[in-house]
Amino acid sequence: MNEFRNHPLLELRRPEVREELTVTLAALDAELPLRVETLVAAKGISGEGASSTDPCDPKRQVARLGWASADSAERALELALGSRWPRRSPDERATVLERAAELLAERRHRMTALVVREVGKPWEDADAEVCEAIDFLRFYGLGARELGDELLQAPGEHNEIRVRPRGPAAVISPWNFPLSIPCGMVSGALVMGSPVLFEPAEQSPACGWELARLLLEAGVDEDALAFLPAGGELGQWLVAEPRIATIAFTGSVAVGLEIQRRAHAADGQRQIKRIVAELGGKNCVLVDSDVDLDEAVPAIVRSAYGYAGQKCSAAARTLVHEGVADRFSERLAGAVEILRVGPADDFATEVPPLIDPDAVAKFNHYAEACTGAELARAESAPGPQYVAPLLVDAGHLPADTPVLRDEIFGPLLTVERVRDLDEAANRVRELPQALTAGIFSRQPDRIDALIDLLPAGVVYVDRAITGAMVGRQPFGGNGLSGTGARAGGPTYLRHFADEQVVSTNVVRHGVVL
Amino acid sequence: MDDALETRIRELAQELWRVEPSSWQRPLVALGRRQLGSLDGRPALRSAMFRFVDAAPACRGPIDRGAHLRAFLREVDGEPIPPTLRPLRGRLTPRPLLAAYGLASGPATAILARQFIAGRDVKAATRNLRAMWRRGQAFALDLLGESTVSEAEAEAYFHRCAQTLRVLARVTRDWPEQPLLDADQHGSLPRANLSIKLTALTPLLRPLAPQRGAEDAARRLRPMLGLARELGAHVHLDMEDFDSRETLLLAFEEVLASEEFRDAPSVGVVVQAYLRDADETLDRILSSPSLTERGVPPTVRLVKGAYWDHENVIAGQHGWEAPVWSEKRESDACFERLTRRLIDSRDSVRPAIATHNLRSLAHAVAYLERRGGRPEELELQVLRGLGDELAEGLSRLGYRVRIYTPIGDLVAGMAYLVRRLLENSSNEGFLMRQRHQSLEELLKAPA
Repeated sequence: MNEFRNHPLLELRRPEVREELTVTLAALDAELPLRVETLVAAKGISGEGASSTDPCDPKRQVARLGWASADSAERALELALGSRWPRRSPDERATVLERAAELLAERRHRMTALVVREVGKPWEDADAEVCEAIDFLRFYGLGARELGDELLQAPGEHNEIRVRPRGPAAVISPWNFPLSIPCGMVSGALVMGSPVLFEPAEQSPACGWELARLLLEAGVDEDALAFLPAGGELGQWLVAEPRIATIAFTGSVAVGLEIQRRAHAADGQRQIKRIVAELGGKNCVLVDSDVDLDEAVPAIVRSAYGYAGQKCSAAARTLVHEGVADRFSERLAGAVEILRVGPADDFATEVPPLIDPDAVAKFNHYAEACTGAELARAESAPGPQYVAPLLVDAGHLPADTPVLRDEIFGPLLTVERVRDLDEAANRVRELPQALTAGIFSRQPDRIDALIDLLPAGVVYVDRAITGAMVGRQPFGGNGLSGTGARAGGPTYLRHFADEQVVSTNVVRHGVVL
Repeated sequence: MDDALETRIRELAQELWRVEPSSWQRPLVALGRRQLGSLDGRPALRSAMFRFVDAAPACRGPIDRGAHLRAFLREVDGEPIPPTLRPLRGRLTPRPLLAAYGLASGPATAILARQFIAGRDVKAATRNLRAMWRRGQAFALDLLGESTVSEAEAEAYFHRCAQTLRVLARVTRDWPEQPLLDADQHGSLPRANLSIKLTALTPLLRPLAPQRGAEDAARRLRPMLGLARELGAHVHLDMEDFDSRETLLLAFEEVLASEEFRDAPSVGVVVQAYLRDADETLDRILSSPSLTERGVPPTVRLVKGAYWDHENVIAGQHGWEAPVWSEKRESDACFERLTRRLIDSRDSVRPAIATHNLRSLAHAVAYLERRGGRPEELELQVLRGLGDELAEGLSRLGYRVRIYTPIGDLVAGMAYLVRRLLENSSNEGFLMRQRHQSLEELLKAPA
């Protein structure tokens, strides 16, 4: 792992770097809409009837495509079952990932521009996403080469652990990280020898298509990766299909639990499906009385409103010591009011539009529930999918309000006043989700005690709670927020393979030969 | 290498070096320095103490403060703890003990702070400023404050600046004349001299969209310069981290391009020699018509730069090459190069060399002499609490010294204070270098 380094982000504070992206985006725009195809055995199957659109301007089509047919999916699965990919050596498979990382690094500008367009993600986040995808490829490539298990050895005995491919994996991925999250799941499965049936999110087929083509170009066997853009039904089929060995899913808690229920129901199943699920959160930030507000306020704003709150790691609730609550609320409100809502391709934008009309309706539903409790509201922008970022005083909400429970996935943050941070931690523990959490405090022993109390999968101290980096903050949740895998961490690949322990007696005729 | 120049640098440096602090005159300063000195070679203790100093003003009373001190000390591993602090490491620390330490640490922090911060506000600092003036030293006042995250905070900072300018103009009016401080070859020099922070003047500083922050800052910069013109005061735009530089220069150029500010007020900018592209920044300033074609030439303050660690951390976390030189000698060499350029440009700008580096100061003076300049054509600047002895020495050489003097309350001043303390107790810092290095080492040319 020592050789691993995160791919450098673009230095967007330099004008010439921004200029290059702007030029790349214009070139991409000239190509739109992209004709996205279903890919089975690396052959494209084109179709009509579906599209993805730019959330900033829904009239602009980013991709046109047809959904994959049931026949295509069946054929893809049969090919996967017969693929020689599992029999390739770990080194060969890792080399393919590393080649893919090189290709992606070469094309980073175009991929960044595509992420900006297809899911309305502002430049800085889009660039970070492309880098994360590159990081996953390199990190898992290295990881597969050196799984590094040492067993105890006794005299006359040789013990080892080997890993075995499990069979085909279904990857069902989200739109909010349309490149990096599927890249991590697909490459994790591939490098451990599982052929992959990859279903992108409906909202972001073009990003998924580019990823699949890139992996095939890098040398993934044609029968080991199928790209199957689809509506909801294909996913249900994949989940229930007994010949699928592993399901990698990132999405909502509700869908994640549904997958758990349905995955094991089919007859003819020959192994227990492994489910690697990364689910939603209701992420809380605890603010202590000794907080440095100069640091905390900008970090919390970024955590809650970056990409319009559409990150699973985003901050949803702040719980603030009463000694500093008024000052905190006042300063935070002032910082929220000046948030710039606008199109993703504008470098000045801080809050882009929401992904689709359903997301807008959902956000508005929760925003209405907060009527009368607003602490601050930023100005929205013209366009059907823009909403006004909101800061809400939870003290003016009913105690049982869903605003404090549900994952809203939009730019809405609540502030709660607490007697002390123990009370705050207890409130956080009542939530079933446990993905990320933040602590702003400057007393080391208090911080330690709070970390113990918080069940979150990733705890951030004195910093923003979004922006996990591969190899630095392995990412995943506890509680209902996931099955425990940590993307970008040293143990992630384990979830995609079976282990086989081999113990050999090396004694012959009473001596070790 | 220019031997005559080097010889003269050495002579001047030795002259400055002889001005030793007279500790009995300033017992508190001496005490503060002894405390800082005792942290030398104990990095964990040093870190604990500075984290405590940083957090102390935000604590809720003595018990909370004592509890913080205890928590930081418990993290110190494998280094001797000063005997006075040992009771806090015990297994039992009753509340009265915490309270006692909490109570005692308040004044201790205040003593440290007073070395570097001249008072809570301009009125409280006036006595200090006047005393400096009598000693022959001018000031550049700096308002410490919390960072600006909202419109209201930007407005509040603007009003603090405006109020400070008014008070400064009033109180400095009847100070006795100091010819060296009151004029240079270009004409009179304002006594009221305020350094402002662009990042405090707008909450919209975004490195990816410098135009946005510049436009917002300009809305407040205009009336501020208008007021300074009215009062005959000097406004200096401080340079901060690399992320804010483009916004700052854009804002300044835009506002100063306006005809109304062509002849007044007196303004200043900063060039940071630790930046790899410092030469280009000076090029930009020297070729900017809104700066150099003014009725009054702008002051260009040359500094080494105070955000070296910050820039390296940011760059390291993002995988970038840092915008700052990686080696100290590279910064020093850049500093000398830019010093020469500024002195050679003294017909169109007022050079102000701001450093505590003995060699850098001696080099500036020696080069000015070499170019046939008179002492009033060069200004030398130091920080309050760090460059006091140097200031005395430079005044004796007949040079105009301006002391950068922060004011503000303790909570707001803590970020500034901690940075100064870190500098002061690190081996790169001026005091530690004086303690550990010979004059010979200090004077080596930065090649």
